[in-house]
Amino acid sequence: MNELANLLTILPNETGGQDSAPFERTEHELLPWEKRCHALADVLDLYKIINTEEKRRGVEALGSNLVVKLNYYQRWIVVFAIILFQKGILTPDELAKKMEEVEARLSFGDEFEAMEHVGGKEQIC
Amino acid sequence: MNTHEHNHDHPPIEEAGGTAPDYFEMMETAVRELLIERRLIEPDDIRRQIEVLDSRTPALGGKVVARAWVDPEFRARLLADGRHACEELGITFYDDTSLIVLENTDAVHNLIVCTLCSCYPRPVLGLPPDWYKLKPYRARAVKEPRALLKEFGTLIPDEVEIRVSDSTAMVRYLVLPQRPENTVNFTEEQLAALVTRDAMIGVIRVNVDPAQGKEAVQ
Repeated sequence: MNELANLLTILPNETGGQDSAPFERTEHELLPWEKRCHALADVLDLYKIINTEEKRRGVEALGSNLVVKLNYYQRWIVVFAIILFQKGILTPDELAKKMEEVEARLSFGDEFEAMEHVGGKEQIC
Repeated sequence: MNTHEHNHDHPPIEEAGGTAPDYFEMMETAVRELLIERRLIEPDDIRRQIEVLDSRTPALGGKVVARAWVDPEFRARLLADGRHACEELGITFYDDTSLIVLENTDAVHNLIVCTLCSCYPRPVLGLPPDWYKLKPYRARAVKEPRALLKEFGTLIPDEVEIRVSDSTAMVRYLVLPQRPENTVNFTEEQLAALVTRDAMIGVIRVNVDPAQGKEAVQ
């Protein structure tokens, strides 16, 4: 197989065996919105709205330029929005309008604190 | 703290929230609220799932490993069907992933990775560390695992085979580390406390603090 043909065997998001930056043992505690984003992914999967494979393919479809600029959960939320647009569940206009509302409201306090006062304590599983 | 694999074009994530709302955080809130308004998800779903996520820590995996060390029949069931054996211990799987448990021996050392994204045995270990999700680990684990393990301080002799298992959306792996020597008198609970997240990913061995070993023997 020549070099060009060999490229065909590499999936868009395939990193196994690729050249990479040096390894660093990085960790961080998730920010509240990052944890909410993770929970949203699980809930979307649970309700069969967006599954893990769709999410991964969505990240691949962002393209290499955007992928390196966005961090992990930024990619996820952007991909969820794109997939929801593609499935006709939301429109870009609706999301833009809602984001304006959220921005106006966020200046009045922590969004999630308010959310925590809603609902019971039972678990999903 | 370096949690990124790129140069920044956005504000540091530490600054998210506060006085200047972060664009992506607003997007998350907006998407969630629109889905609730459409009744596609329930108002409490996200908070409940956060509670589920918070309830998953490597302590659960440690419990599974310790039981496998002290109970050969459980170990056999765990290796035959990881998910079912974990469920025996009351660990629920909130997704439809299956779990394959890989046993380390004198001849084989196992390592887990997800080269495509960040698949991880979350029901038993919680969320993965950043380094597991970033390119260097994913790229190198399958190419030069021995060199990578060395960077974790784990020296695997050449005669020991290293098996790298690449996770998928539906199939997740968990490493069953070797029980350390000098733990004969340890209780199951004491054993579980020795088992770390990284040992169940396969990047380190389970080690006994000599002082701890002495204490347990007394």
